[in-house]
Amino acid sequence: MEEITRQWLWVIDLWGHEFTLNARTLVMTWIVVGVILFFVFLATRKASLVPHTAQNIAEMMLEAFKGLTDESIGERSQSYFPLIMTTFIFVLISNWLGMVPFLSEPTRDINTVFPLGLIGFVVAHATSIKVKGFKRYIKGYFEPFFIMFPLNVIGELAKVISISFRLYGNIMGGAIIIIVVSELVHNWLLPPFLQFFFGFFVGTIQALVFAMLTLTYISLAIHE
Amino acid sequence: MDTVQLAAYLGAGLCMGLGAIGAGIGEGLTGGDAARSMDRQPAVSNRLMRNMLIGQAVAESASIFSLVVSMLLIFGNYSSPTAPGPAALFGAGLCMGLGALGSGLGGGMAAAEALMGVGRNPGAERRITSVMLIGQAVAQTPSIFSFVVSLLLIFGGAETANSIKETALLMSGLSMGFGAIGSGVGSGISAGRASDSTSKRPEAYSKLMSTMLVGQAVSQTPAVFALMVSLLLIFVPQSVPVTLPSLAAVIGCGISVGVGGIGPGIGAGFAAAEAAAAVAKNPSKESLFVRTMLTGQAVAQSTAIYALVIALVLLRLI
Amino acid sequence: MFDQITGSELIRAFALLGAGLCMGFGAIGPGIGEGFAAGKACEGISRSPEHANLLTRTMLVGQAVSESTGIYSLVVALLLIFVV
Repeated sequence: MEEITRQWLWVIDLWGHEFTLNARTLVMTWIVVGVILFFVFLATRKASLVPHTAQNIAEMMLEAFKGLTDESIGERSQSYFPLIMTTFIFVLISNWLGMVPFLSEPTRDINTVFPLGLIGFVVAHATSIKVKGFKRYIKGYFEPFFIMFPLNVIGELAKVISISFRLYGNIMGGAIIIIVVSELVHNWLLPPFLQFFFGFFVGTIQALVFAMLTLTYISLAIHE
Repeated sequence: MDTVQLAAYLGAGLCMGLGAIGAGIGEGLTGGDAARSMDRQPAVSNRLMRNMLIGQAVAESASIFSLVVSMLLIFGNYSSPTAPGPAALFGAGLCMGLGALGSGLGGGMAAAEALMGVGRNPGAERRITSVMLIGQAVAQTPSIFSFVVSLLLIFGGAETANSIKETALLMSGLSMGFGAIGSGVGSGISAGRASDSTSKRPEAYSKLMSTMLVGQAVSQTPAVFALMVSLLLIFVPQSVPVTLPSLAAVIGCGISVGVGGIGPGIGAGFAAAEAAAAVAKNPSKESLFVRTMLTGQAVAQSTAIYALVIALVLLRLI
Repeated sequence: MFDQITGSELIRAFALLGAGLCMGFGAIGPGIGEGFAAGKACEGISRSPEHANLLTRTMLVGQAVSESTGIYSLVVALLLIFVV
């Protein structure tokens, strides 16, 4: 169990303030960024009208998500599509990273996941202000009664908690289960199967859910 | 007779008693629907009989885990210095007993709907049976989680003198036990509806299977949360200071994530069931249904996530 | 077991226990209810796929309303942990 709780921290002293960096998460995030850049390089190199394999995969993914954002956002979709697509690819590759030996998912750390949720939250609220105007946006918090204001605010904040802890709980839960089961059985068949199930299957579904919920919150802000 | 043995026997009794409820009701439902189906289609009664026995055998596996755990509790050796304490043994019994409830009931419900499907369309029997079997296997996952936690509690190690640690072991069993109920029932409901839909449109079999599996994977989330918290509770350090608030925090933590998972598990199963029915009606729109289902399930699960957050906050306060 | 239990410790203990009970039992209803809403939305979309967007939005608004009881539980639990 020490594997889960063990932290690898860099403490940096800046003008008398201590900054603690979670080094493991940081390095894993760099690896994820590297993998994505490498894939994009493969996909765009020698791009042609008859697509090669990497280009084909990239185009398929882009088209599927383009259709999805167009459908739920409408005419403004062009400004939100890059955000949704980036979120999906980042979370997907992060979740898959745990399947590689000696690497771990950056999404196992709440410090990665919470800001991702926060980005979607801020974008959705900024959109809401832009579409409705500031006055109607604020007025929305006092509906249906004036007294509901604090509960409405907490209801909005709870969305950030639920979207980020959903991803964190699933990935962290999977990681803990894999470690405990590997220690229990000392078996070469079961842990790789669990790795595949939690990394590939659950990881893909949760990445899709994360991107789609971000999209849904934005589309609700536009259409409500 | 000392307290360790007392706790083990009490846990064994509750384990088998609670563990028989789900499978009992579920297999009863299966038998009832088999009889109804035979009444409509007497010509295929031998196929119905075969499917009923297969379905009931899978639905029963959760209560067989209960039997194994209660046997381990009854015949365990508690005189050795490395024997577990009373709280761990009682917790192991409750964990497997409660954990078998949902999977047994869900497995039985799945088999019942599959039998109605076979009665309606005997030609698609093979496809219906395979959807049912895979769906039931996924619905058994929460009870396997409970089984793992029970074994960890039974073989986990020596008795401790720390009452917080003892309570944490008991609560880890309870949280996994309760947390398995919702996911087991929910996955069973979706497996049943998917088998039934296969009988209506056998050619959409692979789409139905994939929709069902995605839906079930999401409805397992509460059980995964419960397993995570119960493992964290098992590995609470021995050295925590004993205070009344910490004791209450441990109890609250287990109850929050365990009981909080029941509703979202069942609800997500409902959503997956309806999505499977929708795919059968209109297979070309599969991705639209899966998308709606995933969004709906994700929102329906937010209360389980709040329960997880409260449990993690309480765990930090120990 | 405990050396001595003071009144404030007792209050703190019951507050923490209450927080767990509150969030645990409070999560059951919204979970089942919102799942129902999601299921019915799927059924509605299967009947008229052209209204998928409208139905999804209606589902989300309905779920948001039925989630409010879950959020009340969350608020009460957080108050019990951090304020009492």
